Amino acid sequence: MSSDPDAPSDATSTPDASRSGETLLETRGLVKEFGGLVATDDVSIDVKRGERVSIIGPNGAGKSTLINLITRRLEPTRGDILFKGESIVQMEPHQVVQRGISKSFQTASIFPDLTVMENAQIAALAAEHGEFGFNFLTHRDKLTDVHELAEDTLEAVGLLDRAHNDAEDLPYGDKRRLEIGIALAAEPDLLLMDEPTAGMSPEETQATVDLIEEVKEEMGLTFVLVEHDMEIVFSISDRIVVLNRGGVIAEGTPEEIRGDPAVQEAYLGGVEL
Amino acid sequence: MSDRNTTGESSTKSDGGTVIADNTLVARWEEIREREATVVGVTAICVAIFPWLFSRAPVISDVLLGYQSLATLILIWGIFAVGFDLLLGYTGLLSFGHAAFWGGAAYAAGIVANTVSADPIVMVVAGTAFAVLLAWVLGFLSLRRGGIYFSILTLAFAQMLYYMSAAPLAFLTGGENGLTGISVTPLFGVFHLESDLPSVAGTLIGNWMYLFVGVIAVLSVAAAYRILNSPYGMVFRAIRENEQRAEFVGLNVWRYKLMAFIISGAFAGIAGSLFTIHGSYVPLQSLYWTESGEIVIMTVLGGTASLFGPILGAGLYLYVENIVSGVQQLTIPFTDIVLINDFGTYWHLLLGLVFLVVIWVAPRGIWGAVSDLRALVRRLAGGDRR
Repeated sequence: MSSDPDAPSDATSTPDASRSGETLLETRGLVKEFGGLVATDDVSIDVKRGERVSIIGPNGAGKSTLINLITRRLEPTRGDILFKGESIVQMEPHQVVQRGISKSFQTASIFPDLTVMENAQIAALAAEHGEFGFNFLTHRDKLTDVHELAEDTLEAVGLLDRAHNDAEDLPYGDKRRLEIGIALAAEPDLLLMDEPTAGMSPEETQATVDLIEEVKEEMGLTFVLVEHDMEIVFSISDRIVVLNRGGVIAEGTPEEIRGDPAVQEAYLGGVEL
Repeated sequence: MSDRNTTGESSTKSDGGTVIADNTLVARWEEIREREATVVGVTAICVAIFPWLFSRAPVISDVLLGYQSLATLILIWGIFAVGFDLLLGYTGLLSFGHAAFWGGAAYAAGIVANTVSADPIVMVVAGTAFAVLLAWVLGFLSLRRGGIYFSILTLAFAQMLYYMSAAPLAFLTGGENGLTGISVTPLFGVFHLESDLPSVAGTLIGNWMYLFVGVIAVLSVAAAYRILNSPYGMVFRAIRENEQRAEFVGLNVWRYKLMAFIISGAFAGIAGSLFTIHGSYVPLQSLYWTESGEIVIMTVLGGTASLFGPILGAGLYLYVENIVSGVQQLTIPFTDIVLINDFGTYWHLLLGLVFLVVIWVAPRGIWGAVSDLRALVRRLAGGDRR
């Protein structure tokens, strides 16, 4: 359901996407206005199951706004968002997460005073036992499913040996990994990552890229990535959506985007390609 | 393995997974200490010997100048404070209107006693049920806003109740005079609450009133401990730490906050009902904002985000209010050398000073200071566990 004529249908026939061509996420004519400013301008994109889609664009292009609209942090002015064929624009953020959209924040958004293990358990609790329950007299030790999921998650992000540390005592890179772990422990179908490598050292960046690769292979997760680091974007993405001034100016495989004149135009004076 | 630590202080961090083999005495004690049965058992013992130590033990009680009725009152406020800390310390919500649940339950228990049944158990159930309903309504309305606006809303609602019972509802509440004429019937129809327990129990615990309040206090601590070790305890702290993240892992933060509010309202309700049973009277002041302020001060003084800190805070506050305020001359113990005359009249000032010193020296309250001290002792005695 792509409204953009620049997005050729062969974008959907990349090896990963063809494995399961079902559309997971779809935005239809999404508009977000802040007063007179149009932050998101008639954006219609679709994401197939198993795909890795990157959203790029110069500063102020509306990338974060788009992510915030999808996660229901912001109310769209117009338009619709479909996830697994179901409209989610009327839902609360936690309901969207329960449907299978998880988000990794731009900053290390963790629970600092809780242990690393508890950080993972919070997300695992929501994944295993839903948005709410009346289990206030149930001892947490009895929730073995939560413990197992939390442990598996920490192992996946390589923080199991630090499970009993307070989360705030972790170095920044580990905090970001924990934050990604929290997003993964929610057992999502779609993971939205808002600049996952921002503020990381080159080594940490590489480790995060490896983690994304690994998770993709193991869990068959679908990713939507907002990223500034073009090297990462081009190496990791199946498809790239380019935003400028709130609207989609190009969409396609990394090769197509690299040669697109509209993209180069948009980036002149912006972030260097 | 049931040694999950959530009673606030971050001493042992053993959440399943890797367990460090550690057979030192300190470690073994810590494992036992964290067990639910141990916590409840130790609480029961402390509650049982407290009135004797406070009001009848040789030397100690002479210095403390305590009396039985105050011991009961400390437990009642202690229950209130434990519940309040679930909201303030663990969930991070500052309610400035908990007098509504304390006073509301006190009135509900009193009105039920005067009209339906003055059985103490009926009174507690009725008062608590009323507080839960009230907390559900006020929480539903107040939790629409966060931070300072939440606090102001709770304050406003509680003050509305105060003025309601002062005049428009005076036919029910007795208005300015408070609710009088309550005569509590014996427990189970047999035991007069004001009469002493037989033999050793009488010496140790005192009267049936204290036993009744004490059993409910221990049950309340057990319930609070269980809640803190349930998924709720973890979710509450997660909401305190990062509400937005909690929402974005898929938890219905709004409903958990409402539950935190209702649960703490229930504890306030239990305490408020007991207050009526204890005093056979409900003063209009029990709904006034100063009561909401007192519970905040008690909780912060004792130590937020701890199970027992708030009880200590309640004890210290009531001790200064009731005992120190009555001291005519401050003398050096066991001598007649006078330090200050009319010492008792300065009790508000003294309480303010104590509060300042605690906040300066130990921002995590008395219990926080105790925990830090214990961590120090453990480091010296048993080596670092991590």
